[in-house]
Amino acid sequence: MNALEVTGIRKCFGGVVALSNGNLVCQFGKITGLLGANGSGKSTISKIITGVYAADEGEIKYNGKAIKYRNPHEAKRDGIAMIFQNLSLIPDLTVWQNIVLGAETKKGMFLNNKQAKILSQEIIGQLQPGLDINRKVSELNPGEMQIVEIAKAISSEPRLLILDEPTAALEQEQVQNLFKYMRRLRHQGVSMIFTSHRIWEVMEICQDVIIFRNGENVGAINSEVEAMDPEKIISFITGEANHRQFTKADHKPSDDTVLRIKDLNYGKSLKNISFDLKKGEVLGIGGLAGQGQSELMLALAGSFPQLKGEAYINGKKIRLIRPKTAIRNNILLVPGDRQLEGLLMNHSLYTNMIFPKLAQKRQPLFTPRKKYRKECQDIIKALSIKAHSLDTVVGTLSGGNQQKVVVGKWLSFSTSVLLLADPAKGVDVGAKREMYEYILKEVKDKQMSIILYASDSEELMQYCDRLMIMYEGKAVAMLTGEEINEDTIVATSMRIRQ
Amino acid sequence: MNAQAIRKDIRKWIFKPETSSLLIFLLMLLITVLLQKNFFESQSLVRSINAFAPLILMTMGQAIVMISGTIDLSAGPALSLMTCVLTYIMKTNDPVTGVTAFIVTLLVAVLIGVINGFGAGYLRIPPVILTFATSYIWLGAALFIRPTPGGQTVDWFKAFYDFGSVKNAPAGLVAFGKVIPPALLLVLIGCVLWYILSKTRTGRYLYAVGSNGDSAYASGINTAKLQMKAFILNALYIFLASLFFVGQNLSGDARMGDPMTLKAIAAAVVGGIAMSGGRGSVYFAIIGALIMSLVNKIIFFANIPNAYQTLVSGLIVVAAISSSMIYTKVSHSEKNKENA
Repeated sequence: MNALEVTGIRKCFGGVVALSNGNLVCQFGKITGLLGANGSGKSTISKIITGVYAADEGEIKYNGKAIKYRNPHEAKRDGIAMIFQNLSLIPDLTVWQNIVLGAETKKGMFLNNKQAKILSQEIIGQLQPGLDINRKVSELNPGEMQIVEIAKAISSEPRLLILDEPTAALEQEQVQNLFKYMRRLRHQGVSMIFTSHRIWEVMEICQDVIIFRNGENVGAINSEVEAMDPEKIISFITGEANHRQFTKADHKPSDDTVLRIKDLNYGKSLKNISFDLKKGEVLGIGGLAGQGQSELMLALAGSFPQLKGEAYINGKKIRLIRPKTAIRNNILLVPGDRQLEGLLMNHSLYTNMIFPKLAQKRQPLFTPRKKYRKECQDIIKALSIKAHSLDTVVGTLSGGNQQKVVVGKWLSFSTSVLLLADPAKGVDVGAKREMYEYILKEVKDKQMSIILYASDSEELMQYCDRLMIMYEGKAVAMLTGEEINEDTIVATSMRIRQ
Repeated sequence: MNAQAIRKDIRKWIFKPETSSLLIFLLMLLITVLLQKNFFESQSLVRSINAFAPLILMTMGQAIVMISGTIDLSAGPALSLMTCVLTYIMKTNDPVTGVTAFIVTLLVAVLIGVINGFGAGYLRIPPVILTFATSYIWLGAALFIRPTPGGQTVDWFKAFYDFGSVKNAPAGLVAFGKVIPPALLLVLIGCVLWYILSKTRTGRYLYAVGSNGDSAYASGINTAKLQMKAFILNALYIFLASLFFVGQNLSGDARMGDPMTLKAIAAAVVGGIAMSGGRGSVYFAIIGALIMSLVNKIIFFANIPNAYQTLVSGLIVVAAISSSMIYTKVSHSEKNKENA
């Protein structure tokens, strides 16, 4: 018996076809995985099911009954909840207020806050023990916000739960907690649709996998019929018959030191961190999530005025306590949270991409529009950003394409040190490869140095010359050459081996 | 509770942004008390409350609108219009017209809120433009029914200002009014109204809509309806203020409310209400209104020459706002240091 049957969905935004023929079946009490490249239509079909968008054509059957919701609230009333990729939380309310938002219960005339807190504590306690439900959401980090978002969807006790890339912002341990919870929900008979870019996650948790490409479903794998084969899944996603194996780019960093960091300290997050960065080198930052990696990236970009320690760029001492200092010395940060720090969501691609340029010290009085538009076009082509034109509003792009814009806008600069904070978050396999290849080409051509923090250790293994493992704010190991492999990374990250 | 827990509580309290407005208020109160020797005598206290109450009510209403993420630039003219309607309907010799005037003006208040709320919430007209435009409509309507200040009132309407001035008022009520004047009662009604509201869905959703309208909508909240409710509530607070004004002046005036609009907005901001919406407390907006009111008092009792009064009051307000901003910034970075 199928909980949900979606057939022949078509949806256009302006002139762009987001979905040409979307089909989807979700069985009772099973977890169905949706995979696909950026803009392949996975998010769109989820949003059509829950009524965020209205389909142009097609039919949706829920429990055998044809449905058409006008907004997510109507879907929720029927037991369909969706965890949004773009967080739907209220920053100024507390964790528990957000969890029950829109579904508050009353006790007499007033709201029943006691019961709401108990309910929130119960769910949060299982997803992330130790998260204080009385904190305001604006004080949380992206991973914690995602947990709250998930808790909010679960609190309505849905019969069908749609998770749109819930793990992109999560750390390993949080993902495992979430999977545990999902398995429990499955045993209670809840059907789920799970979207992720991390293939191994989908293989681990899903019973069925449906793969989307260019607005239609191109393949399906049922784990009860055949084994999940990652190569086969990737070939469905990319559409290439033979999936090319990654090879490590053969570039050799020179011996000149670009950046020397000595005894960096910042509160409890960073403790005595020292390292040298060579010209043309890709230095990876790894370890379990939340061990001070993001703080280190921010510190190097000059975001912390209270930072203690010494920094030398090309032998010259600098005080890294203001973003301005970092930028003047050509240290540029590509931030991890594209929605908050990276993009002006309501503006066009072009505006977003030239902003860093306009902020430079020496600018002609009139912006050389033609020249800049040409440069932007080149970057869009190089990163294969899927957009109608340069004037497309960034907020309407898919998540992966947005992330490419964040990276892309810094690439035209004469950078000496590029800081990448999880640049591939929410970017699909194919686009990820293109992005990194482009970055590595720039490294080679312009002799840039890169410090790369990625939550996915596969990326680190593929692209880093050296890998610094962090643990509780300290740099506990520096891996080089052959040492950079899954085994050693996991072992040193968990402090099994030193 | 052990000493450490108490210290933690105190720290938490110090880091609250509202604390700064409270500290500024206490400082200004101290200055006022030093300047005005008889501040705590009951008669001068009543005078102070009478002077402060209208702004407090207007600020509470404005605070609700601002929390919901909009702003009301028509609050002052709306106040004027209500005083004009009240005095237009009332006839001195007929006490019953007081009741009619009360009900009709209440309906006018709701209508004002509905018009503003419909435009800002449902039609999505930017509230600054919308309420700027409607402020002229209220002003025009007020001038139409009362081109010059004046009008009639029934005798019992004086009760909104002073129980003692009503003819044949019961002695007990007059004595009660000496301790708790009508102005204070009106403010208390406003506080109770907000207290009840803050415990309901509407109260919670006001913050949600002001903080992030899109997210609130995605959570199934009718954001347009909520902003409409905010404007209606604001109009009710203005209505309370208009009752006091008519009780005090026994006349209506189409222009008397004009300076109140921006004063109330400034008071709300001083009290910690965010212009961007979603943040702040209506109770602390009262503190903001008190700070703004004390500015006038200090200037009066410090014997500042007439020519400089406006200038000095501007400087005091700037000092109050900037010191509150600096306090918030310092306490915020201290808090970050602690959490780091």
